[in-house]
Amino acid sequence: MTAVHTTDAAVPTNSSAPRRAARGGAPRRRGSAFDRLLPYLLLAPALIGILWLIGWPVLSLLVTSFRRLNLRELTRGEVVWVGLDNYAEILGNPDFWTITARTIAFTVAVVGVSVLAGLLIALLMRQVSPVVRILLQVAMLLAWAMPLLAATTVYQWIFDQQYGILNKTLVELGFESFAGFSWFTTGTSTLSVIGLLIVWQAIPFLAFSLYAGAIGIPRDQYEAAALDGATSWQTFRNVTWPELRPLLLMVTFLSLLWDFKVFAQIWAFKKGGPDGASTTLPVYQYLEGISKSHFGVAAAVSVVMMVLLGLLTFQYLRRLLRQEGTL
Amino acid sequence: MTLQRLGNVLDMPCGEAHSRPHWSTPLERSGRWDRALGKGAHVKGWRGLAVGAAALAVAVAGCGTSTNEGSGNSGEPKTLTVWLMDGSAPTTLTDALHKEFQDSHSGVTVKYEIQKWPGIQEKLTTALSSNNPPDVIELGNTQTAKFAAEETLLDLSGDAADLNGDQWLGGLKDSLTWDGKQYGMPFYAANRTVVYRTDLFQAAGIQDTPKSRDEWIAAIEKLKTANAADPEFQSLYLPGQSWYSLLSFIWDEGGDVAKAQGSAWAGALNTPEAKAGLDFYKKLVDTSATKAPKDTDEATPQQYEIFAKGKVGMMIALPWELASAIKADPTLEGKTAAFPIPSKTAGKTAPVFLGGSNVAVPAGSKNQDLAKEYLKLLSSKKYQDQLAEGGAVPGTSTDTAKLATSPLGKALAESAPNGKVTPTVPSWAAVEAGQNPLKDMLTAYLTGAKSLDQATSDANSALSETLGG
Amino acid sequence: MTGKKVAGNVVAIVIALFFAFPTYWMVTSAFKPTLDLRSTSYDLIPLSVTATNFATAWTKPGFLDSLGNSLLVTLSAVFGAIVVGLLAALAMARMRFRGRKGFVLLMLVAQMAPFEALLIPMFLMMRDLDLLDRLPSLALIYFAVTLPFCAWTLRGFVNGIPLELEEAAMVDGCGRWGAFRRVTLPLLGPGLVATSVFAFVTAWNEFLFALSLIKDQGKETLPVWLAGFQSNFGVDWGGAMAASVLFTLPVLVFFLVVQRKMVTGVTAGAVKG
Repeated sequence: MTAVHTTDAAVPTNSSAPRRAARGGAPRRRGSAFDRLLPYLLLAPALIGILWLIGWPVLSLLVTSFRRLNLRELTRGEVVWVGLDNYAEILGNPDFWTITARTIAFTVAVVGVSVLAGLLIALLMRQVSPVVRILLQVAMLLAWAMPLLAATTVYQWIFDQQYGILNKTLVELGFESFAGFSWFTTGTSTLSVIGLLIVWQAIPFLAFSLYAGAIGIPRDQYEAAALDGATSWQTFRNVTWPELRPLLLMVTFLSLLWDFKVFAQIWAFKKGGPDGASTTLPVYQYLEGISKSHFGVAAAVSVVMMVLLGLLTFQYLRRLLRQEGTL
Repeated sequence: MTLQRLGNVLDMPCGEAHSRPHWSTPLERSGRWDRALGKGAHVKGWRGLAVGAAALAVAVAGCGTSTNEGSGNSGEPKTLTVWLMDGSAPTTLTDALHKEFQDSHSGVTVKYEIQKWPGIQEKLTTALSSNNPPDVIELGNTQTAKFAAEETLLDLSGDAADLNGDQWLGGLKDSLTWDGKQYGMPFYAANRTVVYRTDLFQAAGIQDTPKSRDEWIAAIEKLKTANAADPEFQSLYLPGQSWYSLLSFIWDEGGDVAKAQGSAWAGALNTPEAKAGLDFYKKLVDTSATKAPKDTDEATPQQYEIFAKGKVGMMIALPWELASAIKADPTLEGKTAAFPIPSKTAGKTAPVFLGGSNVAVPAGSKNQDLAKEYLKLLSSKKYQDQLAEGGAVPGTSTDTAKLATSPLGKALAESAPNGKVTPTVPSWAAVEAGQNPLKDMLTAYLTGAKSLDQATSDANSALSETLGG
Repeated sequence: MTGKKVAGNVVAIVIALFFAFPTYWMVTSAFKPTLDLRSTSYDLIPLSVTATNFATAWTKPGFLDSLGNSLLVTLSAVFGAIVVGLLAALAMARMRFRGRKGFVLLMLVAQMAPFEALLIPMFLMMRDLDLLDRLPSLALIYFAVTLPFCAWTLRGFVNGIPLELEEAAMVDGCGRWGAFRRVTLPLLGPGLVATSVFAFVTAWNEFLFALSLIKDQGKETLPVWLAGFQSNFGVDWGGAMAASVLFTLPVLVFFLVVQRKMVTGVTAGAVKG
């Protein structure tokens, strides 16, 4: 029996499922129709859900980007094709390139900070006592869960020129120049404050996920490293990092997607101001779309955004798919 | 890794307890069942599904939608869906109105929903495109043109006579006229006046309310001197982005924010009149040395809350702001009044932005006749008087007697006839819903970030661009 | 070692304070009388407290209804996304089949779509299905939006579980399902926690679609109801903050429940070493 089990599991053959073997009989070649279909059965609900509820709207978006779809066409159901006009309008707009550059810079900064911080906090969570860990987790959870309206308002209050607790505290500490200081005079400072808000709400997920990954690393590897006298940095580099890397790359990828698409916070603060200086691509898309009701143009902006995202994550995607291919 | 510990965890109920081999065969940590179990699945089925779905999507994407025009059968119980905005009509008015309507129309129930302003643009866009839009909606007067031009509203020109057409408030009527036709009915209006503290005025020795710009500046300075000892005192609280007030000043100079050139509109902010208006705004800010932030409007922080703290002499405000201030600090009761925004010419009042709403019937409504009757009832003197009592300027009645009972109401009634609206062009809605160049212009000029010419010129280009779209 | 642990604890507490500060601010604002919200005095600790804001929030019409609506929509979306996502994750992580690469690519690309841009197409789709103004449409949308993420993330976590463990279980006669239930599932615990909380928070806080697709005020969800504190008469910030506090509590409860049930997975994981 032992030999049978070993063969079953170790050697790739078209042998039967172990449960049959367990019942004591000799392994039978079982009809593998079910087993062949199994992956597809498991995938079917997800596939249907995604194709129908996301695939269709996205395709529709692509199609819309070649139409003129303003309010009239929307309520009356008219279809007016305008070819590449929408794209020409966007790409020909000189502000578009500034907005795109700004979006990319903002995204990279926010992703960088949040992933790094998330990683450090995840590693820290492993070391601390359970009570402190739960405290930290709850604090982060509440940050994550705070409704958008409340979060943006609280941040605006904290950074308020006249009545903000931050300015008041700085003045108390002796930095007189901060009395009545406005944090929103330039696009950069505005985006920094918004960036802080986003990072604050983004770190919890990253920390939780990386922590979940980190505690999965077998402890004996750490014990072995300790026995070898490795320093913390060496331990990190040789034990933690390789184990965590796939997960880390994955959450970085996700962060990139989300932070690129962030809209509500930027709009809630200064509506893309001052003077358009904190306008990013999602804001631009909203301005064309819901604000001006030029849904065709907005759809074109969305397509451009998706293409950009594809380009930004191209390396990761390629690598991943190649990995998938070899497995 | 030992399997024994694993066994403890698993607490094996399934299978007998075999003697377990020590697992030594190295396997890639690829985690693949089928490799381990020796499966090789090669069924392709999903790909075809994906292609089919895509083809279907493309085919359907081009399909239009059917708009349902409903006339309905009479005799069936009907529901009239009415959407009015939060804070528009007093509850007493709507209760009485709906009761009377239901009593006079048997079998009809009024489904009344109060809508909130945030996100109303999206909500109306989707509601009007749905299969059963509401029957009566309220639209801000600056939004009406957009919906009218896109043919989403019913043309009421033929029914204007029924709806007191000759008494319609001029500014509101302009806002709902598109292409010569009326696409709604005026509801109510309110405009800004200068709300002030009567006791502080008395203490500073100001006898009469200012009737010209010079008198206004003089009043500001007198208040400032009289309260110089208090570092928190502001004679006039004026935030940087109160662009509706700016409109008054520009109009008073004879200018405008945009001018029609044929069928196209272009910005008019770089004219000497507009610049003069902007200059006067700056003069007010500088003379009063207001501590209000220069990069927000009167809502952030809420202007009336600052006023309610008691250290503000005047604010340019709407009636509800005064009411809220008194509610926040009841000791203010009886110590406040208002005067119309002074013109640069003594004796006249400055033109004011007539804020307000219209009511309209969506083109897709299934109860159009009923909706019109509802509007008729609403436009009757009885309910218009109730609007006036509530502190607003009625839209379909020229009788403002009920309004002039309070000092604020009197100022309102005095200035409303001189009311104007922003350009009645559909793209104006985008100016307010998006990034408002007027606000940016104000902040840039007041903070000194841009010169007068630069600020107006930049704002003008942005405005022209938005209006052109 | 203790010194390091103490230092670690201290740092963790400081970080926790940083994260908690805005929440603290929200809670204290909820207890402040409205006029105190803009105060020139130093008010790190509130100068005065009142419970009226909570009374306003609690008694504001629609609170319990919208709470119920939000719970219904969110829980069904989360449940759906986790179950379906897990199934797909297992397939992607553990099985080889034709089209796997394509499916993985689909998962990834599905997450690139800008959410707000999908409003009009989804609106049209729901209209044509006559699902407008019905809560299931929201549940479907939230399910769809969180599904690729859940499937993708869970795939990552499943990949992280060594195959040997499952094989060992199967050797012991557990069968694939048994191995899954006894080995994989507990070890997925923390991953499931992170994923389901994400899905919950996404659906719970969503505003734009909830506003646009639901007309009937009786079917409002909490974020839409919360926006109601912004009236034509300015914003009742005290009330809005109090409402936000009440709003956040269910998320906390969800987390604590899920966390506790999943913590057994952590113990099992510890044994793995």
